[in-house]
Amino acid sequence: MINPLLRRTLLCASLAFLPTLAAAAPAIGQAAPDFSAVDSKGKPVKLSDFAGKPVVLEWTNEGCPYVRKWYGSGEMQKLQRDAAGMGAVWLTVVSSAPGEQGYVDGAGADAMVSKAKAAPAHVLLDPEGRIGRSYGAQTTPHMYVIAADGKLAYMGGIDSIASTRIEDIPKAEPYAREALQAVVAGQAVSKPVTRAYGCSVKYKG
Amino acid sequence: MNKHAQPPLGLLLAVLFTLLCALLGTTRAQALESAPVTSPHATVSLVSESDRFEADKPIRLGLRFVLAKGWHVYWRNPGDAGQPPQIDWKLAAGAQAGEIEWPAPVRYRQGPVMNYVFEREVTLPVALTLPTDGGIVEADADWLVCADVCIPEKGHFRLTLQPGTPAASAQAPLFVAADARHPVPAPFATGIAADGALSVAAKAGDVPLRAAWFFPEKWGAVEHAAPQPFQRAEAGFILRLKPGQVFDPKAHLKGVLLTKDEDGLERAYQVDAAPGAVDIGRPIGVATVDSESPAQDDGTSLLRWIALAFLGGLILNAMPCVFPVLAIKALQVARAGGAARREVRQDALAYTAGVLGAFLVLALVFLGLRGAGIAAGWGFQFQSPAFVIGMAWLMFAIGLSLSGVLEFGSRTAGLGQSLAARGGLAGSFFTGLLAVIVATPCTAPFMGAAIAAALSGSAAQALTIFLAMGLGLAAPYASLALFPGIARRLPRPGRWMLVFRQAMAFPMYGAAIWLLWVASTQAGDSAVLLAALGMLALALAAWAWHWHARHPGAAWKGVAGMAVIGLVLVSLRVAGLQPETAARPLQAQQDTAAEPWSDARLDALRAEGKPVFVNMTAAWCVTCLVNEKVALGAPAVAEAFSRAGVTYLKGDWTRADPAITRFLRNYRREGVPLYVFFPAGNAAPVVLPQILTEKVVLDHLSLPSP
Repeated sequence: MINPLLRRTLLCASLAFLPTLAAAAPAIGQAAPDFSAVDSKGKPVKLSDFAGKPVVLEWTNEGCPYVRKWYGSGEMQKLQRDAAGMGAVWLTVVSSAPGEQGYVDGAGADAMVSKAKAAPAHVLLDPEGRIGRSYGAQTTPHMYVIAADGKLAYMGGIDSIASTRIEDIPKAEPYAREALQAVVAGQAVSKPVTRAYGCSVKYKG
Repeated sequence: MNKHAQPPLGLLLAVLFTLLCALLGTTRAQALESAPVTSPHATVSLVSESDRFEADKPIRLGLRFVLAKGWHVYWRNPGDAGQPPQIDWKLAAGAQAGEIEWPAPVRYRQGPVMNYVFEREVTLPVALTLPTDGGIVEADADWLVCADVCIPEKGHFRLTLQPGTPAASAQAPLFVAADARHPVPAPFATGIAADGALSVAAKAGDVPLRAAWFFPEKWGAVEHAAPQPFQRAEAGFILRLKPGQVFDPKAHLKGVLLTKDEDGLERAYQVDAAPGAVDIGRPIGVATVDSESPAQDDGTSLLRWIALAFLGGLILNAMPCVFPVLAIKALQVARAGGAARREVRQDALAYTAGVLGAFLVLALVFLGLRGAGIAAGWGFQFQSPAFVIGMAWLMFAIGLSLSGVLEFGSRTAGLGQSLAARGGLAGSFFTGLLAVIVATPCTAPFMGAAIAAALSGSAAQALTIFLAMGLGLAAPYASLALFPGIARRLPRPGRWMLVFRQAMAFPMYGAAIWLLWVASTQAGDSAVLLAALGMLALALAAWAWHWHARHPGAAWKGVAGMAVIGLVLVSLRVAGLQPETAARPLQAQQDTAAEPWSDARLDALRAEGKPVFVNMTAAWCVTCLVNEKVALGAPAVAEAFSRAGVTYLKGDWTRADPAITRFLRNYRREGVPLYVFFPAGNAAPVVLPQILTEKVVLDHLSLPSP
C-alpha cells in the first residue's frame, strides 16, 4: 500500500512531468524531430542524413498480430519496395524494450528482414524508446511520412480498417501509401492525421 | 430421568436450518448461455437476459467475456491502441439487432500509451427484436484480447430462445452489472473550451466528487494519455483535457464522464459538451490528477470500510428485525445472572461464533453467486416464498418451545437449574446464526455502502468486511465474554424467568404472522394455506413429542410420525412455490399517495423537469415499513410533497425485480431501503439516509433547487 502522502506527491510529480512527455509529439507541417540511432548493422543513422529525400518511418513488432497481417500478406514488403522505387527512404523502427514482445538485437533484426523478405533501407534499434517517444509512436504499425524538406507530412494508421484480417487490406483506404504518393508528387496530403491502429508499442518502463 | 438431554432449542434450530438451506436451493431461473469459446486468455459466450422472447418485442443478448488475470478487451474507443470487439449477427429474416450498449471502461496505461479497456469480466448488451420463428440466434464475433501482448480471437455463438412470456434468466444479473456501469445522460450542463477545458456544472454538494475522468467517444479529439487535471469550482468543476490531433474547437465533444466520490465509488454519465464554457463560478483550491489505480486497492479506504461495517453491524442490533432473536438472547443473558463466569464466557463466545459463522456463510454465498455471474442483493433470500415460509415455521417452532409445549427431559430438577442447563453452547451458537438470518431484511445505516464495497472488492476484502459486520452485530454479547462480571449484576434466576420465557414466545408468534403476510404478497393465498398447514403439523408433532417424553408409547410416536410426514409433504409443495409473476396488488399499489415505480415513468417525469421522490421498498424490509409509517406517511410530508408538486414513485422489491436491482446498483446499493429525491429541473439526485424521520425528509425536500 502506498501511503496517501507519497501517493499525492507522486501524483503532483506526474502532473508536472507527463505533459512535457506528451507535448513532445510532432506536428504536421513542422520540422520532424531529428534523431540519431544505430541500425541493425551497428551503423549510426541520423534523420538529417536523408535531407532532400522523403522518409517513411514504420514502427514494428514482429509478434504483433497487426504487423503480421501486413507482413504475412506481403503488402508491407510491397509498400517498402514501392517507396524505394519512388526515391523514398524507408526506416523500420523497433522500440520494444529488452524482454518485451518484438525486441530484437542487430542480428535478430537482420534475421527478421531476411525471413520476411522485407526491404527497408535500415532497421533502427530503439530499445530505450527515445525515437518512439519523440514521435509519439503508440502502435505497431504506426506510420510517419516526412517530406523531402524535412517537414512532417503524415502520421497515423497504415490504412483505414483497424483489424487483423488480411482480407480487409484491399477494402481499406491506404492512408500511408496515399500520403507517400502525395509527398513524392509534391502535393498536400489529404488526410495528414489518422488513427493509428495496432498493438501498443512495448516501451521500456 | 435424563439430566443431559439434548437442549431442544439447539437441535430444533439445527434441523430447521438444514431444511431452510434445502428450500433455498430449489428456486433457480433457467440458464441461457451459449457454449463458450475458450482460450487461456478469455472465455467468451453469448448470454440472454430473458428466458423467452415475444415476437417483435426487444430483448437483450450480450457477449460475455471472462478474462484471465492481466488480460483485457477494449472499449468502443480503444484509446491509443487496440480494437473493440465486433459482433456480426446471423439472424432470421425480420429480426433486428441494435448497437452494443457499452459500459464505462477502465484506464490501462502502458508508458505513453493509454488504452480504454475492460478487465476481469464484462458483458456487452445488445437489444434484439426477433420474429416469431426467429428463436435461433447466431453470431460471429471477433475480439482482440491483450495483456502486454495482443491476441486476435474469434468465435461462433449459437443460442436458442423459446417463444413465450419473458422472465429473467439466470444470466440476467450480468446485464444488471453491465447497466450499473452504463452511462446515464448527464443531468448537468457541460461545455468544451477551445483550449480543451471541459467545464461541468455539477454541484459539488449534489455529487460528492473527489475525481473525474473523461473518455472521448471517438479517437483523436482528446489526447488519451495526457493527464486530466481536475479542479473544483463554486458550482461545478473543470477537467483540463489536452486537445488531440483532430480536436475541433467548433464541434461538440461526446464521451463518457466517470466521476468518483469520496468513497471511491464511480458513476458514469453520457456527455455531449457544447463548444464554449458553462457557468460554474470561480475555481476553488488546486487542481489534482486522478490516480489510475482502483480505489479498492487503497489500504486506508479498506480500514474505513471495516470500521463502517462494524458500526453497521452494531446498529443492526437496534433494528426491528433482530428483535425476535434478541428475545431469545435476553433469556440467555437473564440466565447468565446465575451462571459461573466460565459458562457466561463460553456462552457469549458460542453466540459470537454463530454470528460470525453465519456472516461467513453469507459472504461465501454472495461470492459464489458473484463467481457464477449471478448478482444477489442483501436480503435476497427473502425473495423466495419457500424461504419466507420456512422462516415462519422456524419462528413458530421457537415460539412453541418458549411456551413450553416443546420440551424434553426432567421436570423434577430445580426450575432454575433446568433453565440454566437449557440452551447450552449449541443453542447459543444457533441463536447467533438465527440472529444474522433474521437481520438480513433490515439494513442499518452504513451497511448498504459497506456491502456494496465488499462485493466490488476482492474475495479476501469481502470476507473481511462481512466479518467486521458480524463482529459488530455480536459485539454487545461478545463484551459479556470479555467482562463476565457484568452478568453478575443481573438478577438471580427464579420463577420470574419462567414467566419471562413464556412471554418471549409472543414476539416469535408475531414474527411468524408477519412472515405469513410477506409470503402472501409473494405467492398468493395458497402460500398462506400451505404455511398454516405446516404450522398445524409442527404443533401436532410438538404436542405428541411432548407427551411421548413423559409417557413413552407407540400411539404418541405414531401421531408425531404422522405429523412429521405431513410437514414433509407440505414442505415439498412449498418448495415448488414460485413467486407470482402476474401483476397483483402489492403493498406499493395500496399506498394511495404513491405511483408504482418504473424506469420509463421516472424518465418521463425527469424529462419534464418535475421533482420526483423514489422509494425502493419490500414487504419483508422492516426498516422500510417503519420509515413509511413514521416519516413518509406523515401528514406533513404528504403536504410538502403536494405543495412542491413532487411525484412519489414506489418500487417494490418483495419479489426479485431486475429493473429495481439495476436501479439500486446505480446508487451502489445491494438492498432496500433506498430513497432518492430528484429535485425540479436538471439538478442532480439526492440520496436520503436509510433511517428516515419526518424532519430528515422535509430537510431534503427543501433543498434550494438550482
